Amino acid sequence: MNAFLSAFWAETLKARRSKVSLVTAAGFSIFPIIGGLFMIIMKDPEEARAMGLIGAKAQLLTGGAADWPTYLNFLSLGTAGAGAILFAFITAWVFGREFAEHTVKELLALPTRREIIVGAKFVLTALWILGLTLLIYMIGLGIGAAVGLPSWSLELAWTSFWSLMTTALLTVMLMPIVALFASAGRGYLPPLGWAFSTLALAQVAGLMGWGDWFPWSVPGLFSLMFSAVYGQRAEQIGIHSYILVLLTFIIGIAATFAWWRSADQTR
Amino acid sequence: MNFAIETNGLSKYYGRVHAVDAVNLRVKPGEIYGFLGLNGAGKTTTIRALLGMIRPSAGSVKVLGQAVGPNGRGPWRNVGHLVERPAAYPELTVRENLEIARRLQGISDKDATSRVIERLTLAPYADRKAGTLSTGNFQRLGLARALLHEPELLILDEPANGLDPAGVVEIRMLLENLTREKGVTVFMSSHILTEVDRLATRIGIIHKGRLIEELEAEKLEELRSRRLEIKARNLEAAQSALTQAGFAVKASEGAILLNEARAIDAPDEVATLLVNAGTPPTRLAVEQEDLEEHFLRLTGEKE
Repeated sequence: MNAFLSAFWAETLKARRSKVSLVTAAGFSIFPIIGGLFMIIMKDPEEARAMGLIGAKAQLLTGGAADWPTYLNFLSLGTAGAGAILFAFITAWVFGREFAEHTVKELLALPTRREIIVGAKFVLTALWILGLTLLIYMIGLGIGAAVGLPSWSLELAWTSFWSLMTTALLTVMLMPIVALFASAGRGYLPPLGWAFSTLALAQVAGLMGWGDWFPWSVPGLFSLMFSAVYGQRAEQIGIHSYILVLLTFIIGIAATFAWWRSADQTR
Repeated sequence: MNFAIETNGLSKYYGRVHAVDAVNLRVKPGEIYGFLGLNGAGKTTTIRALLGMIRPSAGSVKVLGQAVGPNGRGPWRNVGHLVERPAAYPELTVRENLEIARRLQGISDKDATSRVIERLTLAPYADRKAGTLSTGNFQRLGLARALLHEPELLILDEPANGLDPAGVVEIRMLLENLTREKGVTVFMSSHILTEVDRLATRIGIIHKGRLIEELEAEKLEELRSRRLEIKARNLEAAQSALTQAGFAVKASEGAILLNEARAIDAPDEVATLLVNAGTPPTRLAVEQEDLEEHFLRLTGEKE
């Protein structure tokens, strides 16, 4: 446990000192702010038009009215979509930086086992992502209250919180394969390439109606289940979808551990 | 005998390329072993195999009596290393980088970081970000990390890289002291042959993946010593004249070598002796083959 705490401490120190933590927090925070702007536009389209804002696009993107359910659902959908890329960016950084900066060789011949270091990286990645999700939820609550959105209820707040966090958790479970690409690809480009490809394929799979069989479509489809607007498509996702996400998670974790343990390290 | 490093038939192949080919290394405890080779000779691949960073294609590696295998298994608590150019987290300070190393080494003594900072004269830079360090100080940081846990064995790849002349001398003295006072074993690769020559008690030369020669301390001493090289039209007659005069004569590749001080200090007298014996020298020179010349001749880089 001591070894794990040391490795985890090292990982958090690296993350805290890096600009990446600030950049990801700032980047993700823009998202509830944009949602809040759309809410303002839809709340009073005439005023928004007078201000030079485009009301039609706001309605198209949020797909609903200027109220709490639409706004919170926008956050959840955004977490599944934009989050897939941002979370992959975080994962790629946590794992890929050791190769890009050649620091990996300082982590291989140590009394602290490689598995512990990789485990600490996974835990940090998960906490970082879930923390960011919590952050945008809190910012969202603040912005929603400031805009004065109607239809608030504690039950809605609770349901949307769990929807958002579960969407983030499902996305987190897809990250170990990103970590594998960052490790085996020894840098940032292979994992980001993978993340963009799976995001594009997830859209295609969703459109073709077999997104429930494609793990990378599952977080998006899950967030739709709670949507007042798209809720009718919620039946697409079933227990098999969760099992596939879990399998993807297990395969990603196992492969990343195996790679760190056994692959030749020449960086 | 227990060796600090022992490899048996260590080989690493990348497709048809034999990066390291059947290398048998034996490094005794307390030795400073200099590992020489040209670029691409297999030095770093060997060092990575010693540290369990790459899987040998064939053969085995033992470090401090323990088998080094896959899965990062090895006696790493007692081994300090520096592989290729040092690496550090640029946005972390020198102290923070070493603090990470201390915790991952499992050292509970918090003063260990400050001690190694002092030892490597990094105190003025302790709170400076590693990314802003000069090449020399970055190298010191790498060495500090290798020494942090006071290991029994140091495996160092080009430890003097990037250091200024004063730094080179300082690191040489540090390594000498560690060996003399604490019995630390040092296995170091270097391209600065004069450094290896001054420091090493034994030298291994690797060429095209094969360990082509190991020079013991006596041979090194011999290399460092001066000698009088004599050439004559009739070498046999010259040799016999010198032997009769009481010189210990050594024949070598069309020349006669005299290692005694009375010959080296008075080549004119040797010349007179040979002239009087009717075999005047065609060449008479005080020579000193250094490690560099020996190395270049051995690796075929010098005709």
